[in-house]
Amino acid sequence: MPDTTTMAPSGPASPIGGNAAAEAADHEGQGLLVEDDMLVEEISIDGMCGVY
Amino acid sequence: MSPPPAFDATRRYRLHPQVALRPEPFGALAYHYGNRRLVFLRAPELVELVRGLGSRPSVEDALSSLPEARRPAFQRALASLSRSEVITEVGGD
Repeated sequence: MPDTTTMAPSGPASPIGGNAAAEAADHEGQGLLVEDDMLVEEISIDGMCGVY
Repeated sequence: MSPPPAFDATRRYRLHPQVALRPEPFGALAYHYGNRRLVFLRAPELVELVRGLGSRPSVEDALSSLPEARRPAFQRALASLSRSEVITEVGGD
Protein backbone atom coordinates (compact mmCIF):
# COMPACT_ATOMS: atom_id res chain seq x y z
CA MET A 1 0.00 0.00 0.00
CA PRO A 2 1.48 3.39 -0.92
CA ASP A 3 2.26 5.80 1.86
CA THR A 4 -0.50 8.43 1.78
CA THR A 5 0.87 10.66 4.48
CA THR A 6 1.71 14.13 3.27
CA MET A 7 4.85 15.94 4.12
CA ALA A 8 4.58 19.30 5.86
CA PRO A 9 5.91 22.07 3.61
CA SER A 10 9.29 23.37 4.49
CA GLY A 11 10.87 26.73 3.81
CA PRO A 12 9.54 30.28 4.34
CA ALA A 13 5.86 30.85 5.17
CA SER A 14 3.51 31.53 2.27
CA PRO A 15 2.86 35.25 1.79
CA ILE A 16 -0.84 34.45 1.58
CA GLY A 17 -0.82 33.01 5.06
CA GLY A 18 1.00 34.29 8.08
CA ASN A 19 2.59 37.42 6.61
CA ALA A 20 -0.57 38.86 5.04
CA ALA A 21 -1.73 40.65 8.18
CA ALA A 22 1.69 42.10 8.79
CA GLU A 23 1.94 43.30 5.19
CA ALA A 24 -1.51 44.88 5.39
CA ALA A 25 -0.64 46.69 8.60
CA ASP A 26 2.61 47.87 7.10
CA HIS A 27 0.78 49.08 3.99
CA GLU A 28 -1.70 51.00 6.12
CA GLY A 29 1.14 52.71 7.89
CA GLN A 30 2.84 53.73 4.68
CA GLY A 31 -0.03 55.57 3.03
CA LEU A 32 -3.56 55.61 1.74
CA LEU A 33 -4.88 53.32 -0.92
CA VAL A 34 -7.03 56.18 -2.21
CA GLU A 35 -5.96 59.78 -2.07
CA ASP A 36 -8.18 61.91 0.09
CA ASP A 37 -9.13 64.11 -2.84
CA MET A 38 -10.71 61.10 -4.53
CA LEU A 39 -13.02 60.11 -1.70
CA VAL A 40 -16.25 60.72 -3.61
CA GLU A 41 -17.05 59.93 -7.21
CA GLU A 42 -20.44 60.47 -8.78
CA ILE A 43 -21.37 58.26 -11.67
CA SER A 44 -23.87 59.36 -14.26
CA ILE A 45 -26.25 56.55 -15.13
CA ASP A 46 -28.91 58.57 -16.97
CA GLY A 47 -29.90 56.79 -20.12
CA MET A 48 -27.86 53.71 -19.33
CA CYS A 49 -30.81 51.57 -18.35
CA GLY A 50 -34.07 51.13 -20.18
CA VAL A 51 -35.83 48.81 -17.76
CA TYR A 52 -38.24 50.31 -15.20
CA MET B 1 -36.28 70.96 -8.15
CA SER B 2 -34.48 73.53 -6.05
CA PRO B 3 -30.77 72.96 -5.36
CA PRO B 4 -29.77 71.88 -1.86
CA PRO B 5 -28.68 74.66 0.50
CA ALA B 6 -24.99 75.43 0.83
CA PHE B 7 -23.06 72.99 2.98
CA ASP B 8 -22.52 74.21 6.53
CA ALA B 9 -20.14 72.15 8.67
CA THR B 10 -21.46 73.76 11.83
CA ARG B 11 -24.84 72.18 11.24
CA ARG B 12 -26.02 68.63 11.79
CA TYR B 13 -26.40 66.35 8.78
CA ARG B 14 -27.59 62.81 8.22
CA LEU B 15 -27.81 60.25 5.47
CA HIS B 16 -30.71 61.19 3.22
CA PRO B 17 -33.68 58.86 3.87
CA GLN B 18 -33.95 58.08 0.15
CA VAL B 19 -30.35 56.94 -0.06
CA ALA B 20 -29.26 53.30 0.21
CA LEU B 21 -25.67 52.46 1.09
CA ARG B 22 -24.25 49.21 -0.20
CA PRO B 23 -20.97 48.18 1.42
CA GLU B 24 -18.17 47.39 -1.01
CA PRO B 25 -14.52 46.46 -0.49
CA PHE B 26 -13.47 49.99 -1.44
CA GLY B 27 -16.08 51.67 0.77
CA ALA B 28 -19.68 51.82 -0.40
CA LEU B 29 -22.06 52.61 -3.21
CA ALA B 30 -24.70 55.22 -2.44
CA TYR B 31 -27.84 55.25 -4.55
CA HIS B 32 -30.42 58.02 -4.23
CA TYR B 33 -33.86 56.67 -5.13
CA GLY B 34 -35.21 60.19 -5.54
CA ASN B 35 -32.74 61.84 -7.91
CA ARG B 36 -31.32 58.49 -9.14
CA ARG B 37 -27.74 59.49 -8.54
CA LEU B 38 -25.09 56.87 -7.95
CA VAL B 39 -22.10 57.89 -5.87
CA PHE B 40 -18.99 55.97 -4.93
CA LEU B 41 -17.72 56.48 -1.41
CA ARG B 42 -14.15 55.39 -1.86
CA ALA B 43 -12.99 55.04 1.71
CA PRO B 44 -14.40 52.93 4.54
CA GLU B 45 -13.69 55.81 6.91
CA LEU B 46 -15.96 58.05 4.85
CA VAL B 47 -18.73 55.46 4.94
CA GLU B 48 -18.44 55.20 8.70
CA LEU B 49 -18.45 58.99 8.95
CA VAL B 50 -21.60 59.28 6.83
CA ARG B 51 -23.41 56.55 8.76
CA GLY B 52 -22.65 58.27 12.05
CA LEU B 53 -23.39 61.84 10.95
CA GLY B 54 -26.92 61.92 12.29
CA SER B 55 -25.79 61.05 15.79
CA ARG B 56 -23.35 63.98 16.05
CA PRO B 57 -24.39 67.57 16.75
CA SER B 58 -22.51 68.92 13.74
CA VAL B 59 -20.27 67.88 10.88
CA GLU B 60 -17.33 69.52 12.64
CA ASP B 61 -17.95 67.31 15.64
CA ALA B 62 -18.14 64.22 13.44
CA LEU B 63 -14.87 65.16 11.75
CA SER B 64 -13.13 65.51 15.09
CA SER B 65 -12.82 61.72 15.24
CA LEU B 66 -10.49 61.82 12.24
CA PRO B 67 -6.82 62.76 12.21
CA GLU B 68 -6.52 66.50 11.77
CA ALA B 69 -4.57 66.17 8.55
CA ARG B 70 -7.44 64.34 6.87
CA ARG B 71 -10.30 66.54 8.02
CA PRO B 72 -10.23 69.09 5.16
CA ALA B 73 -10.46 66.38 2.52
CA PHE B 74 -13.26 64.60 4.33
CA GLN B 75 -15.11 67.88 4.78
CA ARG B 76 -14.83 68.51 1.05
CA ALA B 77 -16.14 65.00 0.45
CA LEU B 78 -19.12 65.65 2.70
CA ALA B 79 -19.81 68.93 0.90
CA SER B 80 -19.83 67.00 -2.36
CA LEU B 81 -22.21 64.45 -0.87
CA SER B 82 -24.45 67.29 0.25
CA ARG B 83 -24.57 68.69 -3.30
CA SER B 84 -25.54 65.22 -4.53
CA GLU B 85 -28.14 65.05 -1.75
CA VAL B 86 -26.63 61.87 -0.36
CA ILE B 87 -26.55 63.64 2.98
CA THR B 88 -28.98 66.28 4.09
CA GLU B 89 -29.13 68.82 6.85
CA VAL B 90 -31.23 67.67 9.77
CA GLY B 91 -34.31 69.81 9.92
CA GLY B 92 -33.50 71.34 6.59
CA ASP B 93 -35.91 69.24 4.46
